This record gives sequence, structure tokens and C-alpha cells, in this order.
Amino acid sequence: MALNILLVDDSSVMRAIIIKTLRLSQLPLGEIHEASNGQEALKVLDGNWIDLALVDINMPVMNGEEMINKLRQNPATADLPVIIVSTESSETRKEELIQKGAGFVHKPFTPETLRDAVLRTLGGLDEQKAGDRTL
Amino acid sequence: MSKKLETELYKAATLTFEELGFLLPTPEVDEQQLNAQVEAAVSVDFEGPFSGRLLVRVCGGLLPTLTANMLGEENVPSKSLQYDALGEIANVICGNMLPGMAGSKDVFHVSPPMMAESMDLPPVAEVQVGLGLGRADLLLFISRYPALMEE
Repeated sequence: MALNILLVDDSSVMRAIIIKTLRLSQLPLGEIHEASNGQEALKVLDGNWIDLALVDINMPVMNGEEMINKLRQNPATADLPVIIVSTESSETRKEELIQKGAGFVHKPFTPETLRDAVLRTLGGLDEQKAGDRTL
Repeated sequence: MSKKLETELYKAATLTFEELGFLLPTPEVDEQQLNAQVEAAVSVDFEGPFSGRLLVRVCGGLLPTLTANMLGEENVPSKSLQYDALGEIANVICGNMLPGMAGSKDVFHVSPPMMAESMDLPPVAEVQVGLGLGRADLLLFISRYPALMEE
């Protein structure tokens, strides 16, 4: 099954890097949607079927944490798999975000780290094989 | 200036240039790199147990190469993409440097990158990274938390 993926990051360069990485990962990709903040992302989710969201945290207008809170409050998106892709390094903050049901990939990341996080989040990879930069 | 702060800043910068920009830092900054002209600069502000600003300058025609590497493109990317790329570099360096300075439990808020402005303060740490024919300068300003500056 091809995966429809939503990328949410205020940096167009980072979105391009993630798309390039996903294409190299040999994951079955469907449509890739982009949004530059949480508010735009929620609009994309309103009109499109999305299998996985990759979300930055520090963004203008609506940050990633606020977006995830809104996703979890909405029955239609409450169970959407989410991976946070962020420079956040505080263990305290990472734990808080993971408690919201999200995976975590730290920037900078290797293609293998991102691929493994996607597979694990979607249930396709044993946690023992997880990359060392993911939680 | 604090040696510890400079060490953490250098570690975060070299990791980011290597893994995100696919540029290998040279062991030392040579004369050509040292004389390279500044081409662009961005800064990111952070707030937490201590607050301040990280300023990143690139010199010597580095930015088009850095951006093209990040995007995996051979053509020269637009100026707006180049500034976007430099902002992301600064953001990632900042995010990776802070836990080394403060500890992994402390929480910081990092603001979006902006066109660089220096601060009316001397930097508490300043490092140069040689990259190809150019270099990157990193200046760390701390506006609050004197104890950190005295380390």
C-alpha cells in the first residue's frame, strides 16, 4: 500500500531534504503533501487522506505541539501516526512529546534513521532495530 | 571566553555541516579560508535556563554549495533557498549545542531563524570552521546567566 505523507516544516529546504530521504528509503510512497505550519497542515488533513505526518516543532503561526494536540482531540485524526522531526534535544521535552503518541527523529538525521522511524511508527520494524537517534 | 562553550559550539557545528551539508570541516582554518569575505549571516535566539543568540556567518562562496548539497541538486539554488538553508543550519546547530552546555533535561525555546544581527554584547564563544575554500563563523551571545560565562 502506498503511503500518503504530510510534511510539516517551516523550512522548504528541510521539507525537500525529507522528501529526498523518503524517496531513497524505498518506502512505498503515494502522495506527499507539504505544509509550512500546523494550521496549514490541519487544512491539508481536512481534504486529504494521510497515512503519516512528519512534523517539526518550532514553527510560526501554529507550532508542532499545538498541531498534535488538535489532532489528538479530533476523532477523525486522533490515531494518525505522527513522527516529530526536530532539533529538540531536551529529554524532558522529548518525553512530553512522545507521551502524545509521536515518534521522534532528531535533526540532523541519516536516511536510515528516518526510514527506521517510519517503519517502526507504522508497525513494520522491530524496536530492537531502531536507529540510535530515534526514540 | 569559555573553552567549554567553544568546544560544544564547534562539536555541534561540525556535526551539522557534515551530516546536513555534506561538507567536511578542515582540521585548521588556512589563510585563504581566513581571508574569505562574508556572504551571508543568520541568527537564532533561544530562551531557557540561560538566554541568548547564535549567529552563523558563511564566507567565501560557501552558501550555494552548502544549499545544493543539502537539496541534492547540481544547479545553484535560488537566493531564498540559500537563506532558508542557512537558517536551518543555524537552527540545527543551536538545537544540538544547547544540551551540551546546559544538560539534557533543561528545556529551551528556540526562535525561528532571522537575518543576522549582532548583539550589543561581546560573544561568550566564537569559533571558526574551515569548509572547502571558505569558512563558517559561529558567535554565541548570552544575555542572561552570568555564571555560564564565568565557567
